Amino acid sequence: MNSYVPILVLGALSLGFAVFSIAAGHLTGPRRFNRAKLDAYECGIEPTPQPVGGGRFPVKYYLTAMLFIIFDIEIVFLYPWAVSFDALGMFGLVEMGLFILTLLVVYAYVWRRGGLEWD
Amino acid sequence: MNPMNYVYLSAVLFSIGAAGVLLRRNAIVVFMCVELMLNACNLAFVTFSRMEGNLDGQVIAFFVMVVAAAEVVVGLAIIVTIVRTRRSASVDGANLLKY
Amino acid sequence: MNTGLTLAAEFETPSVEYRLLAPMLIVFGVAVAGVLLEAFMPRPFRHETQLGLAVAGLLAAFASVVMLAGDYSVAASGSVAVDGPALFLQGAILLMAIPGVLATAERKVDVGGVFAPAGSSTPGSPAERLLVAEKITQTEVFPLLMFAIGGMLLFPASNDLLTMFVALEVLSLPLYLLCGLARRRRLLSQEASLKYFLLGAYSSAFFLYGVALLYGYAGTVRLSGIAEAVSSEAGNETLLLTGTALLTVGLLFKVGAAPFHSWTPDVYQGAPTPITGFMAACTKVAAFGALLRVLYVGVGGLAWEWEPVIWGIAILTMGVGSVLALTQTDIKRMLAYSSIAHAGFILTGLVGTDAVGADGELLGVSSVLFYLVTYGFSTIGAFAVVTLVRDAAGEATHLSQWAGLARRSPVIAVVFTFFLAAFAGIPLTSGFTAKFAVFSAAWAGDARVLVIIGVIMSAVAAFFYFRVIVLMFFSAPAPDGPSVVVPSPLTTVAIAIGAAVTLLLGVFPTYVLELAGLASQFVR
Repeated sequence: MNSYVPILVLGALSLGFAVFSIAAGHLTGPRRFNRAKLDAYECGIEPTPQPVGGGRFPVKYYLTAMLFIIFDIEIVFLYPWAVSFDALGMFGLVEMGLFILTLLVVYAYVWRRGGLEWD
Repeated sequence: MNPMNYVYLSAVLFSIGAAGVLLRRNAIVVFMCVELMLNACNLAFVTFSRMEGNLDGQVIAFFVMVVAAAEVVVGLAIIVTIVRTRRSASVDGANLLKY
Repeated sequence: MNTGLTLAAEFETPSVEYRLLAPMLIVFGVAVAGVLLEAFMPRPFRHETQLGLAVAGLLAAFASVVMLAGDYSVAASGSVAVDGPALFLQGAILLMAIPGVLATAERKVDVGGVFAPAGSSTPGSPAERLLVAEKITQTEVFPLLMFAIGGMLLFPASNDLLTMFVALEVLSLPLYLLCGLARRRRLLSQEASLKYFLLGAYSSAFFLYGVALLYGYAGTVRLSGIAEAVSSEAGNETLLLTGTALLTVGLLFKVGAAPFHSWTPDVYQGAPTPITGFMAACTKVAAFGALLRVLYVGVGGLAWEWEPVIWGIAILTMGVGSVLALTQTDIKRMLAYSSIAHAGFILTGLVGTDAVGADGELLGVSSVLFYLVTYGFSTIGAFAVVTLVRDAAGEATHLSQWAGLARRSPVIAVVFTFFLAAFAGIPLTSGFTAKFAVFSAAWAGDARVLVIIGVIMSAVAAFFYFRVIVLMFFSAPAPDGPSVVVPSPLTTVAIAIGAAVTLLLGVFPTYVLELAGLASQFVR
């Protein structure tokens, strides 16, 4: 049970601190509102004007980025395999072949469903 | 340098990510905070891998990266659909389901 | 600390036992074949082909589970355990997935099926109207379902925490997408999907950090290795306790236990109803399987530390689920809170760690296994019934719309009453035997206070189930109330399977109870 005492003490302390600081801020702080307080903080200067609605760019970029990430990251499995290719031998080759085959299926799906067309 | 410091760093990063998920309002930023948490896990794995003297942790880090990428793709797909429907990525805007 | 050289010396070639992994390989193979079909098969034939392929795959996988029974070992260099609980739960998931998939494939109740023709089309846009007018059916849901089922099969069988994490993601990612694809009420559905995704990713990050800390503690993520480290009391205890806590948070989120339940009502309400049923049943089975394995195999030596926590969470979960369900006005939300309450009842059984039955079976494990089967089938049936009560806008899920339903369709009202009676734990339904099993396991495990609280909570829960029954039978129907649609054989079969299992396990539970008892030993 002793190993839990520090956790309980810490929990009580942090709860107390949270209650104290919220209450103290509420009771002692002055309340003056101005526009700058509602703005996003940007190094203390007026924020740079943004295009209306935050600016938009075509959703196609997201699609391409998503496809890139998902196919690109699979390479991390190829490096360790390549390094220990001799030790893994035929077993490693077959397993990696199955892995690449699965990726090819997905690639075929993306291609057939028009995921690679820009327009 | 004591490798345990990296574990502390990863705990700090994880906490920043966890707090960010709860505090931020933009779905993309919330999602980036989740990614920060996953990468904090990776740092912990790699550090422990060095401390324990086996490579398991590094292999796990690879798997986590791949899973995180898959999660990014699914997450972005969902968020982009929401943005196209609602014209906003705020998690406060999504409030039709309650009680 | 030059690790490279020492490791090269002890390199051993990994092995994959395809026979032992057959159930999962079949399901994943069907999923990949489904992706290929989506790519190359002309659209008019896709729906029937995908459905046939999915059901055939599930049956074949179930057959291979049956063939593996009694043959317990570890596969894939020790990362997958093929043992009693794993095979029992895999069989349960596969059998539940069949009515789940059938209900999902329903196209008569709503023309074109329950899913939006294209998930990417903006709701209300001309592009969407065009797709709806062409009566296009979404068929990509079948591969997504099969990937989710494959992940669910792996989740309770994972013997190391990395495999468990990958399985968790493989089962979750397709579910996030499936939640957002409803044809009607697209905004609700997309919102459910976003919430489920953000909270799910958040909880899996906690799970992963728990794995990292346990790896730091034991130097391995293999559950047996962690168990050894726990029993030899080596390593840093803080890492062990924090790691176990974070890991458990991730798993409790998936089972929908309080205080990690907040996603459940929103997601259950927003998701397409057949998906809700599938998710409520199968995810719960898989996640409880994983929770059992982690708590019993991995940190079983730590039971003295985690039992009180699970105690507290069980009480909180039963309380939150039962009490908040009373205030609900939406039938899907009510069933969601009921599912939270059931998670609490199941956790009660889990506490009976040292309860051993007459034949040496672990009562804690076997009662949980049995409860999961009964709850899963009733849930799939109940949600399938919900899809049938409709008005012009789609499903009529507001409780007031269910008033006097018995006069419009006595059969549906009786069937739904039967499912609600099972949830409430009335004798002659499976719910009674299941509740009896978990409570007696907890009693034998000396958790008597917990059992008493559990019984009180099931009485509270029974109240809101009966409120719905009274509403259906003894209220006057609204003049513009919903009608009950006659479904295609797909949904009918799904409801029939759910009702039949609920009745059978209520009247003749012995066989499945014995099976669960036989399957209660973990391979370490």
